[in-house]
Amino acid sequence: MNIAAGTKLEPEIIIDDLTVVFPSNNGGDPIKALKNINLEIGQGEFISLVGPSGCGKTTLLRTIADLQNPTTGSISIRGLTPKQIRMEKKFGIVFQSPVLYDWRTVRRNVCMPMEIKGLPKKHRTARVTEMLEMVGLYKFGKQYPHELSGGMQQRVGIARALAIDPEILLMDEPFSALDEFTKEKLHEDLLNIWRQTKKTIVFVTHNIQEAVFLSDRVVVLSPHPGRVSAVIDVNIPRPRALSIKRSAEFNALVAEVRSSFEGV
Amino acid sequence: MQRIKKFFTSKQMVTVVWVLGIMVLWEIGAFIVAGTKRSPENVLPHLYQIVQSVFSTKLVNGSQTAFQIVLSNAGLTLFRAGIGFLIGAGIGFLLALLMNLVMPIEKIVFPYLMVIQMIPILGMAPIILAITKDINKSRIVIAAILTFYPVATNTLAGFKSVEKEKHELMHSIAATKYEIYTKLLIPSSIPYLFTGLKISAPMAITASILVDTLQGGGGLGCMLSQSLKHAMTIYVFWQIVFFSAIVGILSYYLMSLIEKAVSPYKRIHK
Repeated sequence: MNIAAGTKLEPEIIIDDLTVVFPSNNGGDPIKALKNINLEIGQGEFISLVGPSGCGKTTLLRTIADLQNPTTGSISIRGLTPKQIRMEKKFGIVFQSPVLYDWRTVRRNVCMPMEIKGLPKKHRTARVTEMLEMVGLYKFGKQYPHELSGGMQQRVGIARALAIDPEILLMDEPFSALDEFTKEKLHEDLLNIWRQTKKTIVFVTHNIQEAVFLSDRVVVLSPHPGRVSAVIDVNIPRPRALSIKRSAEFNALVAEVRSSFEGV
Repeated sequence: MQRIKKFFTSKQMVTVVWVLGIMVLWEIGAFIVAGTKRSPENVLPHLYQIVQSVFSTKLVNGSQTAFQIVLSNAGLTLFRAGIGFLIGAGIGFLLALLMNLVMPIEKIVFPYLMVIQMIPILGMAPIILAITKDINKSRIVIAAILTFYPVATNTLAGFKSVEKEKHELMHSIAATKYEIYTKLLIPSSIPYLFTGLKISAPMAITASILVDTLQGGGGLGCMLSQSLKHAMTIYVFWQIVFFSAIVGILSYYLMSLIEKAVSPYKRIHK
């Protein structure tokens, strides 16, 4: 799984000279959210997009997810457009807030994308159980979202995103609203899930430590206009324990990412 | 001790104080009126007199006591209010759906909805009567007209209040429009729908009573105006005043009960 180690991955997402411009809504100059982005994301790779606010990291994620159209340039995913991938229901998205349906139980929340995919009921029930066991919430299946803590709600969101077995998991600052302990637990869980499911994960965050701990590669974006200012390989072997956060290697990488931040 | 303290700060306590306060004010008023007016029961009778009239066995129109008159006519009025309410709620909900589905419809229709709301019921009644040519039908229609507006506006607000991320989630798994409505928008709008229903349920009853007064054919409003014209004891009027107030409040609580039954996720909240 390690690009720098020489095991070149099959590219899954190819971002080719992507520019996204938002028309200004008060008559000023249009805002260049992303400018000439070129990036290849390998199959099964865990990649983080980091940068200060306004650097376009979320816009990049949204463009991959076909929630935002490119102004110029293109994104190709396995040779298809993001829209085609979306229509095939191959994306799993996790937002900053859990975005759960409060009128549905945990089980039925996880089930929802499978209903839309039209999977048979028997399959759905088994899959919901499997997903909830994976995120450690099997016992809470019959609860309603508001009865769960923030961390648990976010796990339900992850279970829901993975329920339809997507090719690509897109995560937009999923843990930024959580406390430090919950966050660390979820980091470990996410890495375990990733190892089991072998999904390609694109992870947006403004937390450098988080990005380095989780990723194979960290892409640093700089603002105005949003562009790639550095791509840093994380050569820390896996599986990674929380203790690596104290290692010199880890801290050197964090410092390297931070310095490319400051160069902005 | 803790329980007593809890009771005194509870919601029930507020209600008790509120009801007692009104009763005291009423009685003060009744005493003043009793000392100054020649027929005080026409202005403000004592509460006990009204209660007495409810239990009185005296026949006021040859065959029924005052309370029997109220009850038998209440059935008619509430039936018409209920039918009108159901029709109005249905139309209101469909209208909200339509306005949300087709943007221009909202722009075109909404001003008219407001205009309809602003026409006084008493002005509207003759027009409706001329169209339906039947007073009972027009009573139902007017109850429906008063119902649909709060339901339509609140439900529409419910559709529009759904967070962007929820829409994007549906979009990301390529949900169809039908799925977005059935699995996201309609369930999210349920609390808003019930807000509308809670506003319009008592309104449908009030409207129904008011339209009753326009013509004969039975109903609380008919009895109310007859009683005011002294065709029967004035206590029929007072009983109807209290009866309709109570039924109006009960209709509100009925909506709350139904809401709790259909949305189990909220039951734990409160």
